Amino acid sequence: MNNRLVTVYRRFLAGDGAYFWMLFPLLIFVAVIAVYPLLFSFGISFYKYRLTDPNQVRTFIGLANYLRSANDPIVIGSIKTTLIFVGGTVTLEIILGLAIALLLAAETRMAHLIRSFLLMPMALPPLVVGLVWKALYNVDFGVIPYYVKLLGVNPGRGPLVESGIAMPAVILVDVWQWTPLIMFIFLAGLKSLPSEPYEAAIVDGASRLQSFIYITLPLLKPTFLVALLLRTMQSFKVFDIIYATTAGGPGTETTVLNFQIYKVGMTFFDMGYAAALANILLFIVGILSVIYVMVLERQQL
Amino acid sequence: MQKGTVDMKRKQLEKILLTALSILVFILFMIPIYWLVTTSLKYGRDAFTLPPQWFFFDATLKNFRVELENTKTLMFIKNSLIITVGATSLSLLLGVPAGYAIARAKSKLLNMSSFFFLILLMVPPVAMLIPFYLIMRDIGLIGSYWAVIILDTVFDASFVVWMMRSYFKDVPKEMEEAALVDGASHFTAFLQVALPLSIPGIVSSALYCIIYTWNDFLFALMLTSPKTKTIPLGILASFSAVDVSWGRMAALSVFAIIPAVIISLFLNRYFVQGLTMGATKG
Amino acid sequence: MSKKVLRLSLLVVVLVSMMLSSIQCAPQPQATEAPPPPPTEPAAPAEPAAPAAPTEPAAPAEPAAPTEPAAPAKSYDGVELTLASMTDQYVQAFRYLIPKFKEQTGINITMDELGYVDLYQKLTADFVGHTAQYDLMTVDIVWSGEYAVNKYTLPLNDFMERDKDALMMDDILPVMWTQGEYQGTYAAFPLGGYANVLNYRKDVFESKGLKPPTTQEELLETAKALNDPANDFYGIALLGAGSAGAQDYMAFVQQHGGSILDKDGKVAVNTEENVKILEFFGSLFAYAPPGGADYWWDQRETAFREGKVAMMEGWSISRNDYEDPEMSKVVGKVDITYAPVSKGMEPKYGFGGWGIGINADSEKVKQEAAWEFIKWLASPDVQKEWVLHRGPPLRTSTMQDPAIVEKLPWMPIMLESFQKGDGDYRPRIPQYSIIQDALGTHVNAFLVGKVSAKEALDAAQAQIEQNWQ
Repeated sequence: MNNRLVTVYRRFLAGDGAYFWMLFPLLIFVAVIAVYPLLFSFGISFYKYRLTDPNQVRTFIGLANYLRSANDPIVIGSIKTTLIFVGGTVTLEIILGLAIALLLAAETRMAHLIRSFLLMPMALPPLVVGLVWKALYNVDFGVIPYYVKLLGVNPGRGPLVESGIAMPAVILVDVWQWTPLIMFIFLAGLKSLPSEPYEAAIVDGASRLQSFIYITLPLLKPTFLVALLLRTMQSFKVFDIIYATTAGGPGTETTVLNFQIYKVGMTFFDMGYAAALANILLFIVGILSVIYVMVLERQQL
Repeated sequence: MQKGTVDMKRKQLEKILLTALSILVFILFMIPIYWLVTTSLKYGRDAFTLPPQWFFFDATLKNFRVELENTKTLMFIKNSLIITVGATSLSLLLGVPAGYAIARAKSKLLNMSSFFFLILLMVPPVAMLIPFYLIMRDIGLIGSYWAVIILDTVFDASFVVWMMRSYFKDVPKEMEEAALVDGASHFTAFLQVALPLSIPGIVSSALYCIIYTWNDFLFALMLTSPKTKTIPLGILASFSAVDVSWGRMAALSVFAIIPAVIISLFLNRYFVQGLTMGATKG
Repeated sequence: MSKKVLRLSLLVVVLVSMMLSSIQCAPQPQATEAPPPPPTEPAAPAEPAAPAAPTEPAAPAEPAAPTEPAAPAKSYDGVELTLASMTDQYVQAFRYLIPKFKEQTGINITMDELGYVDLYQKLTADFVGHTAQYDLMTVDIVWSGEYAVNKYTLPLNDFMERDKDALMMDDILPVMWTQGEYQGTYAAFPLGGYANVLNYRKDVFESKGLKPPTTQEELLETAKALNDPANDFYGIALLGAGSAGAQDYMAFVQQHGGSILDKDGKVAVNTEENVKILEFFGSLFAYAPPGGADYWWDQRETAFREGKVAMMEGWSISRNDYEDPEMSKVVGKVDITYAPVSKGMEPKYGFGGWGIGINADSEKVKQEAAWEFIKWLASPDVQKEWVLHRGPPLRTSTMQDPAIVEKLPWMPIMLESFQKGDGDYRPRIPQYSIIQDALGTHVNAFLVGKVSAKEALDAAQAQIEQNWQ
């Protein structure tokens, strides 16, 4: 019996025993700290479990939490809001990121200097970013409405309060913080491009625009995919910026799913329902990350 | 001849245009940070004077003095330091050997486990927070530094594994193999041969961990006690009905952005490497 | 070479973390000092720490003699309490009084100041997790039902019965007890009352020859008459965002004689009457500052203190602030009057404020020490200091004290408002937070023009019913 186990162990690791033990501490750590909570959360989503219930009962209710979410206008709305937020931020960031990468790709001293300053936004605490922008947007004393007024446009109740403007205003904050990341990913992609196709294009007398459209863009496709997936996944998880700027308002206009989960879980302590909502989000992000992994693996080959 | 000068002129014009555009990008991205720093140097009454005083204002260090004389500010900074140092050390300790193992192992299973860490990195923090809160409650760690350190480490270490795996793959194996032939154990080969060659990668990983942990707000919000609050929570607490002081809020925020500024301006090489390598390399 | 670098950096990391942890440990010994033995006679403490109590220089070596009945206050020497306080005006009174309390009793209170939403979340997390991070907490009047039913805070009935002579209950108006009392359980002890009053700029009213409105209808007319957006001056400041907006709307429901609950105690926010009141509330916003629909309490206060608005209905607690030149630009220009009610309605005024509760999960010694603090705070002498440092008034005698009235001349109006106070216009039932959250979201959606008043309240009603437990 014991011997068989040893054989299985040997065959299983194919001589990687030492490596296995180097990985082992982290595996145990992650299993205890991350996997167990996720399984727990999966289980609890089938129960009615409200921490503020004086009797603290857990009742098995099957899929009721999931069905409830399908009929919950705020949840349905928050999924839509999330999609708008993700779509808006990712599209803008990719377009701007690529443009700025092309602008700053040159190895001049100025480009270098600007690039290192552009690292700053994404290293800042998102909470501070949110609070700063909230102050800049404030209609009574903020800088942005002041200049908007100078242009002769009425800022109304202010960007974060005016219905229809709040979402673009929040998207802009995210774009400000994360466009530089996309830029750096594209810069890395641009640097790894081969030079031969361009030389051939010059010989053929192609204009710079043509070589950009017919050579650069197709060659950047893998980089593009990576940037797209990475930011999509991160964008689904936005929390701090929403918390600091609008707290989900006006009405529920900027209540993304992640923020709604936090509210259900940490304000109402409705753990079963919050877990069900979290699992829905996890499912969406899970699919995306599997696609991301597949793309990365294809690139590797 | 004439065509040449037209070309020259066009090139020059283009160069000026591109430079101007670059500077515009720079200004647009820096305005909010500049606003924050100047607000921290203004008296409360000037913080929201319109038209905005961008360059000429009554400068003062009063906000910083008030903040530094407040024992709570020092406590926030201390707590942020403890949690950041703790999570970063733990993540490196667990993540670097694991990344090495995955890069060097031949077994498919070990190789594939790197994707497991990648997917873990994508888990929405809220999904983890709720069950984690219940577990920490049951083992009585809520409010301690450990609760935040452990949860941050899950995400930090997953990144370190992913990042270091890519890094070790680029480190040539030959020297380690030579060491193994000489009778060194796998572990010695890792410690004495591979590790010294990968210092830049470790620095990149560490910077990422520092930024992520230092900036964390959600976990700290729910898991800390009054005695273990971090800087972001302190910033949030500086808004109240009694003393709404944007100057002091800005001063505290300046403390919160110090790591970001240092890393962007002085350690940018490592930071960029961490960002792009973690994202793009398989 | 690089191995050296690595070793060095590891060493630095270890050293730094050790240093930091030693910093963290430094104050610990004090905290973990042998817990003082519980008083042998729990009923012993006679008078709330009279100033006569000897102020012992911290003498940790000296064991508190539990058998000695002479110094009951001393038996709590070294007890460490944590207080979670809302960052309302009264935190200043706490900041001032807590060190004095320590001098007299040796009980050290650490205060954690939190915003409204954070306070509620952190406290609920503390209660449901039984983590006892906070021993004392300020309890909003509207949380009374939830706290009492869920037994989050220690019922104070026994303590109050024991010390009823020292507390001099006759001096405390009946409405004060709505802060904390729910179906016979005292989940918190009142800190003091807030009355809904109308603050107005007497200079502006005088220059226009206007009188402060006495009915809601006049309020709207006056706001319209004084609104002057061209000069960045507005008629009235209101609350529009989140829980703040929900509470302001409920205040107007009260002033129009409406109700959030129907006769059977069921939630009925979308009645025809309430829809009309919401429309009225919305029409006031036409004369509010442009960002008004996003105002929380602090922004509304800022607008008034900055001199941007002519009127503001709000809690009496803020009254002192307008006379403080450090934070106010309207010093000497403000007057206060009763909050107007709808025409023909019998005057009743919104009553609110905070109580202070003791965590049911705290250790027995800490609970006893916490009660000492509450009792001390409620004593007439301390109450005077409390009110002068911007605490809300609790005792009728304090509000009538000539020395106090001289400094705070608006006390009689507050007293009258309390006497006709209605503490239940925001239903103090355990499910209150569900009502407030739903109203907060949907009232705001109406105010920014996304939905009609009827749609907003229908959606709020549906959300409340769905989340009802």
